[in-house]
Amino acid sequence: MAETPCLDVRGVSKTFRDGGQTVTALENVSLAARPGEFITIIGPSGSGKSTLFNLITGLAEPDTGEIVFDCGPVRKRAGRVGYMPQRDLLLPWRTVLDNVILGPELDGRPRREARRRAREMMPLFGLAGFEDAFPDTLSGGMRQRAALLRTFLTDRDVLLLDEPFGALDALTRRELQRWLLDVWQRFQKTILFITHDVEEAVFLADRVLVFSARPGRIVKELHVTLPRPRQSISLLSTELREMEAELLDTLRAANGDPALPDAR
Amino acid sequence: MAVGERADRAASGAGTVSARSWAARLGQDVARIVVLSAVAGLMLAFFASGVYQLVAEARAVENLTFEDILPSPGEILDAWRAHETLLLDRHIPETLWETLAGLSMAVVLGVTIAALMDFSPLLRWVLYPVLVVSQTIPIFAIAILLILVFGFGSGPKITVVVLFCFFPIALNTFGGLQSADPELVSLLRAMGASSRQAWLKVRLPAAMPSFFGGLRIAATYSVVGAIFGEYITAQHGLGVFLKRSYSSFRLDQAYLAIILTAALSLLLVLLVNLVERLALRWYYTSRRSDWRGPGIY
Ligand SMILES: Nc1ncnc2c1ncn2[C@@H]1O[C@H](COP(=O)(O)OP(=O)(O)O)[C@@H](O)[C@H]1O
Ligand SMILES: [Mg+2]
Repeated sequence: MAETPCLDVRGVSKTFRDGGQTVTALENVSLAARPGEFITIIGPSGSGKSTLFNLITGLAEPDTGEIVFDCGPVRKRAGRVGYMPQRDLLLPWRTVLDNVILGPELDGRPRREARRRAREMMPLFGLAGFEDAFPDTLSGGMRQRAALLRTFLTDRDVLLLDEPFGALDALTRRELQRWLLDVWQRFQKTILFITHDVEEAVFLADRVLVFSARPGRIVKELHVTLPRPRQSISLLSTELREMEAELLDTLRAANGDPALPDAR
Repeated sequence: MAVGERADRAASGAGTVSARSWAARLGQDVARIVVLSAVAGLMLAFFASGVYQLVAEARAVENLTFEDILPSPGEILDAWRAHETLLLDRHIPETLWETLAGLSMAVVLGVTIAALMDFSPLLRWVLYPVLVVSQTIPIFAIAILLILVFGFGSGPKITVVVLFCFFPIALNTFGGLQSADPELVSLLRAMGASSRQAWLKVRLPAAMPSFFGGLRIAATYSVVGAIFGEYITAQHGLGVFLKRSYSSFRLDQAYLAIILTAALSLLLVLLVNLVERLALRWYYTSRRSDWRGPGIY
């Protein structure tokens, strides 16, 4: 069971034609996610990370290669995974409660039952008391939490999170990282997590994948052996810093540009 | 503007900001300024000649006294007392019925047209010119024809109201549908939504603020449309009352009709605003909460 990947991306390439130019966003990218694995993906901006997610969610078709779920090819990829895009993309005309039940609603499950479950989950996601608030009245951190809850409530085993904490201040980000690990362990999800923060990548992951600058390829794979549960970044300092340095070196080499990414 | 942006993007995409594109942009700016000043100048000229005309004509009818053309509030009130029953029992209900029936049908027609144009590029290509042309041929001409052909009943008046009202609704709703965030639609598609679900859950709600903007305009048109239809030929309605007042030189009654028409329009717009406030609670929360007033155009 542990050997069979629940999501298998095999030799996928994607080229965009933008006006007269062609942009190769992804080149021969393969990755297999084991059930319950936490994979972080890091790479310079424009290296095709979001494109990979678009391919997995069925928003775009790969030029070559295939994407397989649970050991079998599927005709329709849309709706197979929980997806949290880079922007929180909450529906402004829905309250928080009605936003987070979007997944079950699209699946045709009864709303009343979905709302009941969502209400139960609100405290865990730090949203208690905000059930009837509209997204525009919430802080960035709250909106992000609501988007995460929406993704969790899709009840999919695999979750794709595209820079979910990218726009948050450092303090909120730390808090949400710890909280995400807690939720991930509790619900046994498989997570693919894009970030541009090296420290975040290492702190969260079982495995870090490093993408090169365009065309996006996986240039390094780092297994993070730090013990779990991981309480806080400061307690893990020595090993964490070593891995961070290693990743930063890889990124610089892949990039040919010492300025990227966030090295603090 | 859009052209300028595209040029900018093309320039940066090629990675060369050459002197030629800089010159081209300067040329565009100059052209823009010239065109805008010409339009502004022309409008100013029309405005001045319009004012001149009004003043000249007002001087010519100097001998007409103020009292002749403007009855006192007391006289208007007397006219109301004299015709109260007839107005409340016959004319106002008739006008109100035509207005509301026409406006409701205009909503259905307008939203349907907007939805069709949003669904299909082909229908957009076909319907859009028809829609615009339908507004450039004078509605008054069609309305008169309709009423002369179909006669005294409410039907033709309701049709006139629909003709007056569907266009702002269709156009605004279409604009609202088109302005829906494509990334929201993508998110729903990625979550496995059908295109019908994505339309109902993203595009339609996103269009609602624009729809209400169109409905507000249509609400003011609707009363005018009904009165206009009745004015041509009808048995009941404020338009008939107005026409009879004019033909018997009862300006007190005419003013009464005008005041009632205005009140009806105002009530209708306030009703639209009320419904909008209730329906678009999300739109008026948070960053828009300091926005006050009924939002009458
Ligand atoms: N729909 C598209 N059409 C054209 N080019 C695209 C499209 N989507 C992405 N790209 C291009 O592909 C490259 C990778 O983009 P993206 O996957 O968003 O990168 P990342 O998420 O790693 O920052 C970029 O150069 C981007 O301009
Ligand atoms: Mg991205």
